[in-house]
Amino acid sequence: MIVVENLFKYYGEYPAVRGVSFEVPKGRVVGFLGPNGAGKSTTMRILAGYLTATSGKASIDGRDVFWDPIEARRRIGYMPESCPLYTDMKVSEYLKFRAGLKGLGWGTRRKRIEYVLERCWLKDVRNQIIGTLSKGYRQRVGLADSLLADPPVLILDEPTAGLDPTQIRETRKLIRELGQQHTMLLSTHILSEVEAACDSVIIIYQGQVAAEGSLAAVRERYGNENLEDIFVRLTGQEGI
Amino acid sequence: MRPTLALIKREFTAYFFSPIGFVTLAVFLLVTGRLFGVTMNLLTEPGPRGTEFPMQALLGDEKFWLVFLFIPPLLTMRLLAEERGSGTLESLMTAPIRDWQVVAGKYIACLMFYVVLWLPTLAYLPVLLDMDATTWQPRIDYWPVVTSYLGAFLAGAMFLAIGLFVSSLVKSQLVAAMIAMLLSLVFVVAAFWRPDYDTGSLTTKLVNFISVPEHFRRDFTRGILDTRHIVLYATVTLLCLFLTVRSLEARRLR
Repeated sequence: MIVVENLFKYYGEYPAVRGVSFEVPKGRVVGFLGPNGAGKSTTMRILAGYLTATSGKASIDGRDVFWDPIEARRRIGYMPESCPLYTDMKVSEYLKFRAGLKGLGWGTRRKRIEYVLERCWLKDVRNQIIGTLSKGYRQRVGLADSLLADPPVLILDEPTAGLDPTQIRETRKLIRELGQQHTMLLSTHILSEVEAACDSVIIIYQGQVAAEGSLAAVRERYGNENLEDIFVRLTGQEGI
Repeated sequence: MRPTLALIKREFTAYFFSPIGFVTLAVFLLVTGRLFGVTMNLLTEPGPRGTEFPMQALLGDEKFWLVFLFIPPLLTMRLLAEERGSGTLESLMTAPIRDWQVVAGKYIACLMFYVVLWLPTLAYLPVLLDMDATTWQPRIDYWPVVTSYLGAFLAGAMFLAIGLFVSSLVKSQLVAAMIAMLLSLVFVVAAFWRPDYDTGSLTTKLVNFISVPEHFRRDFTRGILDTRHIVLYATVTLLCLFLTVRSLEARRLR
């Protein structure tokens, strides 16, 4: 579903992503891990079409994100890091605008908005101005937006950052449920979350893939340690 | 088409959510209202001190353009700068919408609000055209009014396109507004030293070519459509819109 081949991205002289390749098969929920600055967000932004790769290929459902950007983006629900929203709009207005932007017809628009409001527990704040919502609710609005067009692929950049434990648990539950219908790539720093919600992991360090595979396979390869130890070992911060 | 329409709708309604739209509207109406008062005085003046072209008193005046200078930048400053500043540009640019559609949507929305700005001034027309109270027929030539409004639309379209382009380059709305005003100033300020120029010189020709108040004073408000002015406005508009699309594209490559 998501195919990335030898992706490079330079910010000026600095290589943020150096030759990343991976594949996410249909229906899989993949945790995208790595320390800050490893190139996770950059890779996701390239997949979502916000940035263009310096070289390499990336495609979603067979559509190249560079040569066929509109069709590729139609197949992605993307939630950016820290989830920027228009703070002067009401939740329902915002979703209506986003549904239009994603080209949904009038009939399906209303149905999908009702569905995502229900799905992301937003019914009771639908007429509230986004600027007055708490971080947790905003995060859910962002998630609702990514679900609007019912895309086969979801790319979520740190969907649980800045949430309280209850909200994290709720979001994790939601992600697990969504994983049954969508192929998902989500980045996070909370390793227990990956163990709870994901089928497989991709660990990326200094712009390169350090480990990739199903949770069990990765664990086995590194002598059945827990994910946290593997993460620390791979990203070279042991002993700090 | 649908994404563009959704964007136009959101951008247009956003003018009514923020005070900026209403403030601009109030200032604009205050100035045109005052100039309308001046025109009224001229029209009712006894003897030879009246005016031949009422629209010229209204729009050919440099004072009008000095205030007008601030209006398009205020309308365009938030269009892209705000999105860049708050990070919402990322969700906009990852939606299935092409770069030129984003630019077209935003530009059409501000152009629409600009038209809304001018709509209340239609109330002055019965007086400016000396309409007959019973038949609603204008008793003086109405073409100067038509060409003036056409000129105001095209000139405004140019200033808005400049503002949109500047807005795509920076993150701060304030900076966007100030640079847009500076660039617009080129098209406005030259005429202010008009009396100092030698009328036969190249400078005068150049000033007359780019100076918008001068275009209005001499041509649009007298019912003359000079294609040179229209070509200037249209080319600057298209160039700026083209550059805006490019500037959005360039930000992906960074």
